[in-house]
This record gives sequence, structure tokens and C-alpha cells, in this order.
Amino acid sequence: MKQKIIIVSSVLLLLAALFFIGRDFFYEKNKNKENQYEYDLSNLKETDSSQICYREVSRILPESDNLYAIATDNKDRIYIAGNEKILVYESNGNLLETIELKEDASAIKISPDAKIYLAMNDHVEVLDSMGVLQDSWDSPNDKAIFTSIDASETDVFVADAGNKIVYHYNTQGELMNEIGRKDSLKGIPGFIIPSPFFDLAIGRDDELWVVNSGRHAFEAYDFTGSLISSWERTSMSIEGFSGCCNPTHMAILSNGSFVTSEKGLERVKIHLPSGDYDCLVAGPESFDEGTKGIDLAVDSKDRIILLDPYNGNVRIYEKL
Amino acid sequence: MLFLTAVLISPVRIAEKSTIVYCLKLLCTNTSNKLKTLKMTDSSKKNKLNRRDFLNKGLRYTVGLGIGAIGVAAWTKLSSQEMVWQLDPSKCRQCGRCATSCVKTPSAVKCFHVYALCGYCDLCGGYFRPETKNLTTAAENQLCPTNAIKRKFIEDPFFEYDIDQDLCIGCAKCVAGCGAFGNGSLQLQVHHKLCDNCNQCSIARDCPSEAYSRVPAKSAYLFQGIEEKDYQKQKG
Amino acid sequence: MSKKITFILIFVFFTISFVQASPVQRFPKPEFEYGHQQPPTIAPDARSQFMEYLDVFVLLVSLSLISWFILKKRSRWGALGMSVFSIVYFGFIKEGCVCSVGSVQNIALALFNPGYKIPITVIAFFVIPLLFTLFFGRTFCAGICPLGAIQDIIAFRPLKLKSWLQTVLGIIPYLYLGFALLYAATATDFIICRYDPFIGIYRFDAKFSMFVLGATFLLVGVFVARPYCRFFCPYGVLLNLVSRISWKHMTITPTTCIQCKLCENSCPFGAINEPTLDKKKEDRQIAVRRFIILSFILPLLILAGGWVGSQFHENLASVHPRVQLAEELMTFNESSELEPSLELTTYKSLGKSEEDLYVEAASIIREFHVGAWILGGFIGLVFGLSLAGLSINKHRIDYEPDRGSCLSCARCMDYCPMPEEEKPHRLLFAGFRKPVRFK
Repeated sequence: MKQKIIIVSSVLLLLAALFFIGRDFFYEKNKNKENQYEYDLSNLKETDSSQICYREVSRILPESDNLYAIATDNKDRIYIAGNEKILVYESNGNLLETIELKEDASAIKISPDAKIYLAMNDHVEVLDSMGVLQDSWDSPNDKAIFTSIDASETDVFVADAGNKIVYHYNTQGELMNEIGRKDSLKGIPGFIIPSPFFDLAIGRDDELWVVNSGRHAFEAYDFTGSLISSWERTSMSIEGFSGCCNPTHMAILSNGSFVTSEKGLERVKIHLPSGDYDCLVAGPESFDEGTKGIDLAVDSKDRIILLDPYNGNVRIYEKL
Repeated sequence: MLFLTAVLISPVRIAEKSTIVYCLKLLCTNTSNKLKTLKMTDSSKKNKLNRRDFLNKGLRYTVGLGIGAIGVAAWTKLSSQEMVWQLDPSKCRQCGRCATSCVKTPSAVKCFHVYALCGYCDLCGGYFRPETKNLTTAAENQLCPTNAIKRKFIEDPFFEYDIDQDLCIGCAKCVAGCGAFGNGSLQLQVHHKLCDNCNQCSIARDCPSEAYSRVPAKSAYLFQGIEEKDYQKQKG
Repeated sequence: MSKKITFILIFVFFTISFVQASPVQRFPKPEFEYGHQQPPTIAPDARSQFMEYLDVFVLLVSLSLISWFILKKRSRWGALGMSVFSIVYFGFIKEGCVCSVGSVQNIALALFNPGYKIPITVIAFFVIPLLFTLFFGRTFCAGICPLGAIQDIIAFRPLKLKSWLQTVLGIIPYLYLGFALLYAATATDFIICRYDPFIGIYRFDAKFSMFVLGATFLLVGVFVARPYCRFFCPYGVLLNLVSRISWKHMTITPTTCIQCKLCENSCPFGAINEPTLDKKKEDRQIAVRRFIILSFILPLLILAGGWVGSQFHENLASVHPRVQLAEELMTFNESSELEPSLELTTYKSLGKSEEDLYVEAASIIREFHVGAWILGGFIGLVFGLSLAGLSINKHRIDYEPDRGSCLSCARCMDYCPMPEEEKPHRLLFAGFRKPVRFK
């Protein structure tokens, strides 16, 4: 009798094991639907709509697989650097012309005298307003990664993320100076550039603003290379710049405020000339996750033109 | 496959032509034979045994060749080298299942720091929680659920981050943070000293982005952004 | 063909390396002023291939040893010693992987899936035990298989099962094998490995449910000897069939059987066939009629099984992750209230088209349609043959091990009173033998 009970219960246990295997295999699907270890940025990605001070008015969809850089000229035409070409648009978004290039340009700037300056990874090309190549300047250093360029009528500045330095050329292409090398005597902290984003722009009073992204800082130099002013804002929240190295790009408005773009938390903001946060142009919801390198330009009416390299579009924002 | 088996078996068939005929005959008379044997004399019994032996022998050769044929057929799919499981960080979506699906606890998937790509940032997306206000090493600021990342000051403004792989559970939280804000120097990889190299990797089964595959054991790591010569192999 | 594949692989490799060469990855590291050295990334090596070959060598040697112990030395102690060795080496040291039981799936995957490359050790682990069984019977089961060995040493109070129960439960391994082959061939999953009850014990690490499964088998194994081997093991099916025609096989008696009945209850696995007692003649006509009926029923069962199986092919396919994903995508489009799974969100984030997924899922379901017919037919065949086996009486005069289900554990040998041809050194061991009878 005892044996019988043991046998029956043993067999029942075996059948239960079989039942467990079958049920587990056929019915327990997607057990953990959620990620227990989610890297949650949703709080930071939420946009407070009262912060928004710009609205998108139009959008350009350039015909190019990749988009790299954007610039405006003094007639408010929009220049977009794409795959081995530059697309020139009117301010209302009509395509004017296409300039063919031999390589991709990583940065573009139209000088006040209507020359087109292109940073081509490791050298600079100068085109006249018709798009004809006038000049080409090599990099003074190896391992150059040119990421930004700006030009006045007399001076040209190029940011080299590879060597973490800014080159100062004259319009003939002679290297005048190297700006921003670490020098504790002069109080220059040196550029910390952990990722290939390194932007600069010439300000209202002929000062050169350089983004020291590794320190989340903006630094102003005069043309001789002395540090005149700087500010930094490190914060994951909207008041500052997040992550390892932000902002990735910037542009300067007519009142001296800065337009900045960030990666990680994809957002475009306005900072006052003092450095304090002012308001939001476009929050993370306006971009796809993982968008990096939103290039910015400002036209004479203080419209903000931004380039979304991830979705391949160019958006024009106007103040509310 | 079938063809191969047929080719391999055919010589036996020729050699033992009568086997099949015997098979059929025996099948037909199987049951009645049994009854007969009851009455059989010694000699007929012996005869029967011989017949059964012969049949068994034929079958044995056939089965032996069949096993051989399967072996040979599998041999044509032989991998020239030993294979191990590895995940491709470029496909990884940091879903967290590497931590939960491995048969081992903690998982044999670990975070590796590819120092060559690291920016040595102060505000490290892989080290600090997104909402962190003060950049201190206080536990509440750390993103890693097991505090497996160690932060070390090098010089202004650089910090180095080391991973204590004994504590790491392979959850990929830091990988996501580093990817979002940094250069992607934190990468998940199967730690081959810990991996049992299961026949069917249970993480591979659960991986939603199909990042897992069998890779040659000689180059068993798929770090992104650095060459094989740039990392140091450690003898097992 | 292989050239083409190589070419494609090279192409893919270069494309990938080109993509990787983007500036984001190749960015120069920071320059440390005070000479800090950047530490290298350390990548621990995988187990060397030599160790894999060593495993094959150990398998060969231990199989030879145990076959010699059982067939030549007729030593239960030898078999037991090999069991302990197997538990230690193949079990705890190798952590139960790679094992012959699971290798069936690799073979199926290699034969049906063009992308899969099979390691040589897996082929060896599949073929070698089969060949040994073809020569010497299931000596592999006796003490080399780590799954069998752990159950073997735990069978303290084996009880005899009714033969009908044994036959019915004995069908499970065939079904298990069928399902395992189907899911391995379709590259869905390795269910044998996934539900291996003892691997968690060998690794001291498993999910709670798998520990419970392992513990259940061990607990049951105390009273029903080797429950996994007899009523689950899919590789055992192959060994069972091969063993029936083995060249040599262990015998209970070293010389001739005298029908003393001493060994009758010695086998914990119910694998000793007793002499057939009923001498009454069976009518030849009945036998012929039964044969005719059977030969009609068998194909009918196969067809019916195949048809029934094919009716379930979508259910069978729904385990495949791709099919699951496609199903979810379909339902998800209709009702957006459902929370999407990680699979779905990931698939969408990868930017692949829905169309591709549906096409892929459809082709997998088609594969399963064929597979379900074969599986169903196979199940029908197994049922049919089991029926036939029940209805056919084999005539037997002696007590003999059932060649199919005998695990060659050598327990029964000690019960046989017949003296062996004396060899002097055997006397040394005589004192150790204490046959214990159990009910």
C-alpha cells in the first residue's frame, strides 16, 4: 500500500514536471516585458511648454543622404553642406543653386564679403560667391579634425577638435596664431574636447567665442589669443549643459545671446550673454533619440535655422 | 543528406543483398515462426538463431553506417575553429536582459571599459544618475545599481572610471548613459572566463535586437571603435 | 557557394569596419599632463581548443573503461566508480556542457540550418556514445552520462513499476525527441538544454523553477530509479534503438541461465525480461490477421498523426521569437492600448520594415507546417509501434536484459549464482560483494 502511494505520487510528480516544461515553453512568453534596468531620462526629457520662446515656421528637406553643416549669408540665404555639395536656398526655402564639391564639408561659413569658407575635415577651402574654388589651406598639424569655421573680412578662425586648438588665419591663408593652448600663466585652461564637436563664432564686438565643451564652458578670446571672458554651466537640468561635452554647436543672436544645441538630451536653448539660461527653442521631443550634432545658424532677422542631421531636415524658427 | 546516406548505405545493400529479402520474409512469418520455435528441435533453434544473428549483423552495419553518415553530413558543416558566444555592441539596445536572462548569477555578460574611447569626463553619463545635482561619489548619485564603477581623479578636469567586474551584473545602464552623453566607451561583452558557452545561449534567445552570435574563439571580443591589437588579451 | 559566402562575409566585414571608422570612434584621447598612463582594456581568453579535445579524449577513455568493467570484468564497482568520475568531471568540472544528450539538437541544426557551423567536439559527443552502444550496449548510460550518473547513485529505494505504466511513460522520450528535433531544426530553441534538470545542480546556479525541477527528478529518482533516463531522455531513444542490435551486450549470467529467479527483482529499471511462461499455442490465423491489421493501422496512424500535427503547426510555430514578434505587431496595429514589448520597440527602433518581418514569419510558419506533419507522423508511428510491441509476445527461455531499455549498470550480475570461470584475482574482490535484495 505504502509502495503504491509512493509510486503514484512519483508518477504524478513526473507528469507535473512534464506539464511544467510544456507550459513554460509554450505559454510563458516575454516574461519580462519591461526593462528592469531602464536608463530613464524621461524626467529630463519632459519639456515645460511655458519655457518655449520660439516656434517652427518652415522646414526644408534637402536632397542629400547626409547633412553636415549650415550657414547663412548677409542676404539671409541658407547654405547647407551635404554629400559633396552645398545646397543654397532662399530664406523662404526655395532652392537657388547647388555647388558641387570634391569632398564633404564639415563646417561652412559665409564671410561678410560673400566668400564661402569650408572646413573639410583636415583642410580649409575658400570659394567665391559663385562657388568657384579660390584657395585651399592645409592643416598645420597632423590628426586634424576641423569642426567649425568663422570668418570676418580680415580674419578666419578654424576649430580643430583633433588637436583641441583654434587656428587664426588671415584671408590669404597664413597662419597668424594658435588660440586656446593651455597656459596657466595667462589663465587659459585649455580646451577639453572628448567628442568631435568643437564650435566657435565671432561675436558682436569682434571677440571670438569658443565652446569648451568638456567643461561645459564658453570662452571669449580677443584676436591676439588672450582670454577675455568665460562662463560655464554644468547641469543635467535645463539651466546648464549636460553629459560629457556640450553644447555641440552654437550661434550668436544680434543681442549677444547664445543659441546652443546639445546631444544626449537633444535640445536647443537660448542663453543670455551672461551665460544664464533664457528660454527653450526646441526640446528633446522635437528630435529623435540619439540625434547628435544639431548645427545652428542665425539670420539677420534673428530667425534660428537648425539642421537635424538624423532626420535630414532643416528647420526655421521664429520668435514667439 | 538523404542522398549521402543512400550512397553510403548502397555498398552494404549490395554486400548483403539477401538481408532485405530476409527482412521481408521474416516480417511476414515473424509471428508464426515464434510459435514454431516452441516445437523446434535443437538444430532448428540454432538455425533460427543464426538467421536472427545474420539479420542483426546486417542491421548493425546499416545503423553503423547511418550514424557515420550523419556524422559525415554534420562534418560538412564543421566550423573550422572553436566558436563562442558574443554580443555586438553596435546592435545592443541596452534592454537589461543580459542581466536577467543568463543562466549564471550574476550574468557572465559584463561591462568592459574601452579606455581608448573614454573622454575622462567629470560629468560622466555612465557614472552619474541623470538627475544628479552634485558630482560626488555618494551612492545616491551613482547610476550603477551595484556601485561597480569606480571613479578616480586623474588631473583637472579628468576622471578615470574603472569597472569592478565582480560587482557588475551586466545591466547596461551605464552603457546607455555613456552612449547617450559620451563616446560609448562603456560596452557590454560576454566575459569568456565566466561564460559557460552554453549550447544555446539563453541570453541570445531573449535578446530583442539579435545582437548575439557565435564568433571564433580566437577573436572572441567585438569591441566597437578599437582594433583587436588595441586591447590586451588575458590568458585563460 | 562557399566562395560566395566568403565574399559576402568579407564585404560585410569591410562595410562594418568602414562604418566603425567614423570620427566618433577614432577620437584622440585626452593628453594627460602629469603622465597618467591609460590602462588597457583587458579581454580574458576563452577556454582553449585543446581542452575541448581533451574532453573528447576523456569521453573515449572513460567509455572504453566502463565497457571493459561491465562486459569483461563484470564489475558493478567499476561502473559505480565511473559514475562518480563522470559526476565530478563531466558534471561539476565541465558544468554539464557539452553533453551527448544535447548534441542531438546541434546535429539537427547543422543538417537543416545553412548558417550554423558545428564544432567538432559536438559531433564527437554525438557519434562516439552511439558507436559504443552499437558495439557494447548502453554502457554510456551506465555511468558516463553525467545526467544518468547523478540519478544512478541516488536510486536508494527503487520500486518496481507495472509494465504497462513503464510502456506508457516510455513514450514520452520519443515525443520529447520529436519536439526537440523540430525546434532545433527550425533554429527556434534547444529545449533539451533549456529544461535539463541537473545542469543547475552541476553549476550550483539556476533559476528557482529549474532547481525545483532538478530536485523533483532527484526526489522521484530515489523511488523510481533514473526517471529522467527512462521517461524523458531523448538521446536515450537513439541509444535504446541502437542497443537492440548491439554486437556485444552485458549478460546477467556469466555462463548459462538456470532460471533460478534470483535476479528477477534485481533490476531497478524493470529491464529484465522474464522467461515467457504461457506455452499455449497461438493460432496462426489470428497471428496473420493481426499482422494484416497492424500493417493497415500503422500507416493510418502515421497519416492521422501527421494531419493532427499539421493542424497545430501555427501553435508550434508561435514559440519562434520572429513569429511571436510578427503576431504582436499585427495585434498591436489594431489596438494601440497595449504596451508594446521590448522586442517590438527594439525592432521598430532598428528601422526595419514590417513587411520583411511578416515575410520572414510566414516562411518560418511554412517550415513548421512541414515540420508538424513530420512530427505528427513520427508520433503516430511511435504509438503504432508501441501498440504492436504490446501485442507481440516474444518467446524467451532465459532471464535476459532487455537490450533496448537495459542501461548496463551491472547491478543484476551480482545476483547470479553461476560461477564464472575462475580467475584468481577475482577472488580478492569477492568479499566486497554483498548482494542486497529489494522488493
